[in-house]
Amino acid sequence: MFHWLEKHPFFFSVGVFLVIAFAGLVEILPSFAQASRPVIGTKPYSILETTGRQIYIKNSCNACHSQLIRPFKSETDRYGHYSLSGEYAYDRPFLWGSKRTGPDLMRVGNYRTTDWHESHMKDPSGVVPGSVMPAYRWMYSNIADIPTAYAEQLTNAQFFSVPYNEPIPMKDGTTEVVKMANNVTDAHAMALAEAKEIAVDMKDQNVKDAVARGEIPEIVALIAYLNSLK
Amino acid sequence: MNKLYLWGIIITAIMLGATYYTIFLTKGGLNGDIVNMLAIAGAISLVIITVFVVIKYVRQMQSDTAQGQLADEQWDGIGEYLNDLPMGWAIAFLLTMIWGMWYFTIGYPVNAYSQIGEYNEDSAAHNAKFESKYADITGDRLIDMGKSVFLAECKVCHGLNADGIDGKAADLNVRMEANVVKFAIENGSNNHLLGSEMPMPDRNGLFNSNTGALITDAEIDVVSKYVANGMSGAGADVFVGTCAACHGEDGKGMEYVAPSVATFSPELVTNILNHGKKGSIGQMPAFDRLNAKQKEAVGAYVTDLSK
Amino acid sequence: MENRPLEYDYTVTKMFMFTTIALGIVGMLIGVILAFQLAYPGLNLMLGEGLAEYTNFSRLRPLHTDAVIFGFTLSGIFATWYYVGQRVLKVSMAESKLLMFLGKLHFWLYIITVVAVVISLFAGVTTSKEYAEFEWPIDIAIVVVWVLFGMSIFGLIGIRREKSLYISVWYYIATFLGIAMLYLFNNMEIPTIMASAPDGSHVGGNWWHSISMYAGTNDALVQWWYGHNAVAFGFTVPIVAMIYYFLPKESGQAIYSYKLSLLSFWGLMFLYLWAGGHHLLYSTVPDWMQTMGSIFSVILILPSWGSAINMLLTMKGEWQQVAASPLIKFMILASTFYMFSTLEGPIQAIKSVNAIAHFTDWIVGHVHDGVLGWVGFMIMAALFHMAPRVFKREIYSKSLMTSQFWIQTLGVVLYFTSMWIAGITQGMMWRAHDEFGNLAYSFIDTVTVLHPYYTIRGVGGLLYLVGFFMFAYNIYKTMSARPVEESELQSASPMGA
Ligand code: HEC
Ligand code: HEC
Ligand code: HEC
Ligand code: HEM
Ligand code: HEM
Ligand SMILES: [Ca+2]
Ligand SMILES: [Ca+2]
Ligand SMILES: [Cu+2]
Repeated sequence: MFHWLEKHPFFFSVGVFLVIAFAGLVEILPSFAQASRPVIGTKPYSILETTGRQIYIKNSCNACHSQLIRPFKSETDRYGHYSLSGEYAYDRPFLWGSKRTGPDLMRVGNYRTTDWHESHMKDPSGVVPGSVMPAYRWMYSNIADIPTAYAEQLTNAQFFSVPYNEPIPMKDGTTEVVKMANNVTDAHAMALAEAKEIAVDMKDQNVKDAVARGEIPEIVALIAYLNSLK
Repeated sequence: MNKLYLWGIIITAIMLGATYYTIFLTKGGLNGDIVNMLAIAGAISLVIITVFVVIKYVRQMQSDTAQGQLADEQWDGIGEYLNDLPMGWAIAFLLTMIWGMWYFTIGYPVNAYSQIGEYNEDSAAHNAKFESKYADITGDRLIDMGKSVFLAECKVCHGLNADGIDGKAADLNVRMEANVVKFAIENGSNNHLLGSEMPMPDRNGLFNSNTGALITDAEIDVVSKYVANGMSGAGADVFVGTCAACHGEDGKGMEYVAPSVATFSPELVTNILNHGKKGSIGQMPAFDRLNAKQKEAVGAYVTDLSK
Repeated sequence: MENRPLEYDYTVTKMFMFTTIALGIVGMLIGVILAFQLAYPGLNLMLGEGLAEYTNFSRLRPLHTDAVIFGFTLSGIFATWYYVGQRVLKVSMAESKLLMFLGKLHFWLYIITVVAVVISLFAGVTTSKEYAEFEWPIDIAIVVVWVLFGMSIFGLIGIRREKSLYISVWYYIATFLGIAMLYLFNNMEIPTIMASAPDGSHVGGNWWHSISMYAGTNDALVQWWYGHNAVAFGFTVPIVAMIYYFLPKESGQAIYSYKLSLLSFWGLMFLYLWAGGHHLLYSTVPDWMQTMGSIFSVILILPSWGSAINMLLTMKGEWQQVAASPLIKFMILASTFYMFSTLEGPIQAIKSVNAIAHFTDWIVGHVHDGVLGWVGFMIMAALFHMAPRVFKREIYSKSLMTSQFWIQTLGVVLYFTSMWIAGITQGMMWRAHDEFGNLAYSFIDTVTVLHPYYTIRGVGGLLYLVGFFMFAYNIYKTMSARPVEESELQSASPMGA
């Protein structure tokens, strides 16, 4: 049979294709629906958090940082509760990473704060001697791209039914609503309102001035995202 | 002995040496951790198997000769022998396939294993092992334990020497710096330092009973320095007149009324770890993932630092 | 002596040989820079504060992986296909104007795509998925390039004289089909310009931006089904295609066993796809899928080793050739490193071992055993074999080749031993608890301890890069040397006498 296949390229190719496609069907399809259901307390990203997430991706922070806490005592001691599938329900793309040159960030919002991130992103080894993380100084002057983040929110809502403007059940039994704007102007205003809350806790005068002028430096959005990781 | 085997042994020895060195680079060595042991075993067998299997075939290059029946076909001059499968390879392939099927159907069938279940068992065992040890340590041992927590969790903000890294976080070698006190007086304080909601009023609520008026800028400056100096120097009168009602004359605080501003105590630190703290320096996060004993221990360590 | 009925046309081969070398230099140079940035973070500012956005580790890392995978390796695959394909199918590209045109179009579209990729990655346009960083407009270009590659393969097969397909061709076909299927599914994404504001106003934003069709755990599952098999169908299958042609051809030996080739091929095809779960051990994908990943990885050792053993046995009794020819040395060592990394991978795929290895430099070590020792060596060997035949000149210097071999071998050894120590050390330190049951190390302790190994790895990488420059120089001198008489070449070994 194999000799025959080797003389008939078409059937040979079909054979190869079937053999390799089979595994994908069996391994991937069964869990698809189940894995994507959010757990209680998981909220979609706000406009500024979405912007920050895009900045995280733009700079490939995932090259050094994971966002996946494995169920080992040593990891839960270091980073907090192990990850649950439903916590990633609104993560497109997922950001688990595959290398921990730096620590996991899945719940970094629980144990680091705005002012710390501000000093750290500007000069990591000044805060943590021996750190090999690059300094991200341009983020303090580059202005964040709100329209693209807004378009991403809209895509999430319209194609994947992500529940913006809807009550979301929280762990304490209450509900919360993550608002999404009606147009890009409002989206910018909402982002600015979030940015102001963060800028209060920051010290960099240029950043504070920019926010006061109505501009949002990238660092502010990035910190909003990092603080949301809980 | 054949030169090849000598090389094989040298390479293996180097890699074993590297692995041995790796184990001793970490404090606890293998630490009785089965995962550590399996990883090391895997690493070692990787080198040994590869080196000696390759040597086996290189030996055949050196001493054997090619033989067998050639197939009729040729491709760009390349022929193929019709030799049988190497026996060792074929058997190993068959065995791994059988093992795989056994593993998945009989050995550890679907749903027989849960990684979360395994985690729960592991952490229960860990807690049981250390809880008994924790329970009654006090004094220096408690401080040592606190130091171990501090070095793993706190030094990224407070620095290796707990000096707050140039004002980025609180300097824990002293109870408080003057600007922190000043900030609390001017803005009040609402950080659950007593463990419950018990705010301190801001300057508009602080009367100096000596003068019968609201506290003044000059008084704030002098009393801040007084507190930061460890309750000494000028300003004792302002403190007694304004603050002692809540914080006590010696500044050591009163239960349910106000915390000590003269000394740290494990309870105070525990409250800070439970609720976080936002002040003039910045924001200190809460630490939910430490257990009660760890908080007490690091509290003892911090208290000891500023003595 | 075979008589040559045909004049093979190597125009397209030459073009891709050129990009193999150029993109190899670019990719490996960036690799060396990355390595030293981890050892000396000051190098993130190597071109000054103003350009730090473009020269820092995180912006450059995807450029390294994509330059070596989609630049160096893929060019090598294309170059060898356009060479090997003609010869084992016994037809010349010159016989079909259409195929010649498609081949050239394939090359030029590839070049355009490479330029677009470089610009976009420098600009930070990425979807974050490893080895699938590109946004949808580039995905479309890649699909077109791939379709052209497929048309070349099947076009040439369509007009072949040799009825039966040689082993290498099986592997090239599998490469084409595998990547096509995987790439399409992993790049299902929705461009965000497709959404509209509720009040109908204009949204704006970057037109090239998109988000993945899959979320969270599902996205991870598809990504690593892809990622694992991008390795399989990019770093394994086509490289096996190369060694099945170039080793017997260079040594003049017949393949040791057809049966072994056959079983290894179909075994590899069947097993490879199942193993992807080993990238997701202890993650939030279901336990049974992780177990499958581990089991299939272990079984996978055998079909992988099958090909390697077949190659080693092909050289049975030919030790004098191995000793005399640096080209054959490259291929024998490539087989050895292939065996090493295909045993290392399965060991790392065992759950308990992965508990330590995952997220550490031991994985990076495993990656580079494979890519430097196996992929890199094999592609360079292929180019060394093709160069005299394509340019019709003798190889410029055999002794340069020998020194290159030893320098690069030392480089690979330094790379993997240092990452071995670094990875296992870090993995064990992360897990360690002290006498009080508290974590024994803060994260930064596990970073600073690696400094010496990061430096050694950098030196190893630098040696490999130096060797690659020697390779490039050797090929360049070969190209530009005095042409040799056709008849001379026929009888001379490619190495010169
Ligand atoms: C070269 C690798 C590298 C890159 C790239 C990198 N980091 Fe880091 N990161 C580290 C290391 C190492 C540490 C630990 C030492 C320290 O705190 O600086 C760290 C620590 C951190 C921490 C503190 C986490 C904790 O638990 O202490 C945060 C937050 C962080 N990085 C965010 C980022 C963000 C955001 C980016 C991208 C814009 C980024 N990092 C890029 C290596 C990196
Ligand atoms: C009405 C009672 C009251 C008076 C009067 C008062 N305090 Fe307090 N003080 C408190 C309470 C309650 C807290 C704890 C608040 C919290 O939980 O954040 C506190 C907290 C503080 C803190 C913050 C401690 C820390 O660790 O951050 C400082 C400093 C302080 N007081 C200094 C003073 C000084 C100096 C005066 C006098 C000028 C004063 N207080 C007067 C009740 C008082
Ligand atoms: C993310 C950074 C960060 C980490 C981690 C951190 N701290 Fe702090 N900590 C701060 C900052 C900032 C302050 C100052 C808050 C203020 O008063 O403005 C502070 C204040 C404190 C204070 C109060 C000092 C005072 O005078 O009132 C104590 C006590 C303290 N930290 C202990 C700890 C301990 C113990 C740990 C580890 C278990 C820890 N901290 C970890 C940032 C941090
Ligand atoms: C039997 C064959 C192999 C198996 C079972 C295998 C297994 C593995 C495993 C378990 C990992 C680590 C996943 C993790 O924990 O992050 C890995 C990573 C990797 N392997 Fe292999 N491996 C094999 C062969 C190879 C070969 C031959 C190469 C290259 C030539 C290679 C290249 C890689 C790469 C590039 C990664 C990194 C993926 C990432 O970015 O995380 N592997 N492999
Ligand atoms: C000069 C030689 C090279 C050096 C010094 C080098 C260095 C590096 C460095 C420093 C990293 C990042 C590791 C980390 O994040 O910690 C890396 C990643 C990687 N390199 Fe190389 N590299 C070299 C050649 C190559 C070649 C030739 C290939 C492929 C053909 C390759 C493929 C990869 C891959 C796939 C990764 C990602 C690994 C992962 O994510 O696990 N490298 N390399
Ligand atoms: Ca990776
Ligand atoms: Ca894409
Ligand atoms: Cu894999």
